[in-house]
Amino acid sequence: MTRPPPKLEWRGVSKRFGAEPVLNRLNLTVPAGCSLVIIGGSGQGKSVMIKLALGLIRPDAGKLLLDGKALPGLGGRLQRRLYGKAGVLFQGAALFDSLSVWENVAFRLINADGVPRKTARRRALAALERVKLDPDIAERFPSELSGGMQKRVGLARAIAADPEILFFDEPTTGLDPITAAVINDLIVDQVKRLGCTTLSITHDLASARRIGDEIAMLHEGQIVWRGPAADLDRTDHPQVRAFVDMQSA
Amino acid sequence: MRLVRAIGQVALAVLNTVGAVSLFALRGLAALLTGPWFFGQLLRQLSAIGFFSLPVVGLTAVFTGAALALNIYVGGGRFNAEQIMPQIVALGITRELGPVLAALMLAGRVSATIAAEIGAMRATEQIDAMRTLSTDPFRYLVVPRLVAAVIALPLLTVVADTIGIAGGWLVATRFLDFNATVYVRNTVDFIEGWDVVSGLIKATAFGFIVALMGCYYGYTASGGARGVGRASTHAVVAAAMLIFASDYLMSFWFSRL
Amino acid sequence: MRGQWIETLMGFVVLALAAAFLIYVVRVGGFEGVRRGYEVSARFGDVGSLAPGATVSVAGVKIGTVSRVSLDPKTYLAQVDLAIDPEIKLPADSSAKITSDSLLGGVHVAVAAGGSPEDLKPGGEIENTQGAVDLFGLIGQVVRPQPSGDPANED
Repeated sequence: MTRPPPKLEWRGVSKRFGAEPVLNRLNLTVPAGCSLVIIGGSGQGKSVMIKLALGLIRPDAGKLLLDGKALPGLGGRLQRRLYGKAGVLFQGAALFDSLSVWENVAFRLINADGVPRKTARRRALAALERVKLDPDIAERFPSELSGGMQKRVGLARAIAADPEILFFDEPTTGLDPITAAVINDLIVDQVKRLGCTTLSITHDLASARRIGDEIAMLHEGQIVWRGPAADLDRTDHPQVRAFVDMQSA
Repeated sequence: MRLVRAIGQVALAVLNTVGAVSLFALRGLAALLTGPWFFGQLLRQLSAIGFFSLPVVGLTAVFTGAALALNIYVGGGRFNAEQIMPQIVALGITRELGPVLAALMLAGRVSATIAAEIGAMRATEQIDAMRTLSTDPFRYLVVPRLVAAVIALPLLTVVADTIGIAGGWLVATRFLDFNATVYVRNTVDFIEGWDVVSGLIKATAFGFIVALMGCYYGYTASGGARGVGRASTHAVVAAAMLIFASDYLMSFWFSRL
Repeated sequence: MRGQWIETLMGFVVLALAAAFLIYVVRVGGFEGVRRGYEVSARFGDVGSLAPGATVSVAGVKIGTVSRVSLDPKTYLAQVDLAIDPEIKLPADSSAKITSDSLLGGVHVAVAAGGSPEDLKPGGEIENTQGAVDLFGLIGQVVRPQPSGDPANED
């Protein structure tokens, strides 16, 4: 078997906060080019999964693998290589409020890649155009934008350096259905364009169906169900049913 | 038994914080020594911490110098020694009040701002975001602030010394019948280089304290908006207390040289 | 930065005021100072705590300041240079005395004008001088007339 290793893998990962176990020997693989969406109620450790993969927190046990190699966590060389290939859209967009919109989008280019400001600005404007934002807002500050526009700027920042892996943390939370649909479409467009692997977490099923090739359900610290997006309505797994029915009601 | 346990817990908590702050400071120094450095951020912080603190520092210094002059005049008058007022004012300002007041104003203004800024960035995941954008938040946020404060506070102290002495001079010549020229000459002839330099050494240490407290409490803030507010308060209180304690230690040490 | 111009302005005002005072200090503070008036010197056996900047007066009215205090290496007398207001001409036989106007510090030079028709020239010397009185020495003598050896004085 010479199948390529999965792009990203959680192998027996456990994490607890205080006495509270959040992830319990979690195993999950994301094949290259796949768009996987993790669903689950709040407090089930979805955010923790992403933060572990990004090395923002350390696992208590188990390990994270990128292209089959273990990630050492916080600050290691491989971790930095992951950051070089990854783009993240945070829940609240997490734009830097002291920087203008284009400086936010070009942050990695200017501060990590040493791209000259003029080139960086041009690339930032191009990224803004890809998420269908008017170049006029480039000079504005994040606090002057609506929530939906902030998310779009966040998306532009995530894709500005053409990443191989994209992470989406609750991309539609706090948005009205119409804006959420726009964001979902933009995400799908960009993922297709870049042909990259994505991992999203959400509790919004509409969003999960739109973005995901595959859907996995996280419950009590473990993946309890995984399948193609279309199977979501056919499965008789009790937790998935409960989650799906609750949202359609 | 319960009391002993409570005391033990408090002592452990204090030791914990001291250790955490020391580690934080060492991490800052390591980041400073190894780079990459963000000079743009340093300039930005120099202007925010240094230049924009000039009005408050100047105002504090002029009033303190004036009040100090009046009080020393009254005190000196009790044994007919009003004439040494310029020397005592100059000594008090350069060795003690200039650096300490500038540092306290900076603690109120800058420690709080830094803690709030960095704390808010922590609360809204901006610090995590920065890391995923291949930029070390320690080098981008903490180091420029530490360096800027260490550079800015001695410079502010020079301004505070000058304006403080000017405040004393103003009161002495306007209301107390001192001769303007004699006042200045007495001051200049009396003050030694070490009086000013020791004040500037203190200011350098205070600058580090002010920025370190702001950065530490901001960086470790948790619990949303309330956490940010708490971080701000803690930063100011801790900075002020450390300024006073280290001021005494340094004064004690300098007096033995 | 938006809306910060007033703070910027205030910063510059503070800097300007500090600079102005510093320039004033340098000009009058005796760093190779703009010397006003003419210089005369006087030698004293003991100047006490006399320091540059101290007042020089005649009959209690200020006529100048002490510009320098140094030691004459030959005679071991204190050489004091006085900067005197050019409008005041002192008679050549004037005398100078160091008096203190309080118990601690505040020493100044009191000049008593003489009767000579000739004026003291710039760079001249006041020859008739009286040094500072050692106040504490005097007090000590009054409190304990005989330092030791007399059993009757011991408690």
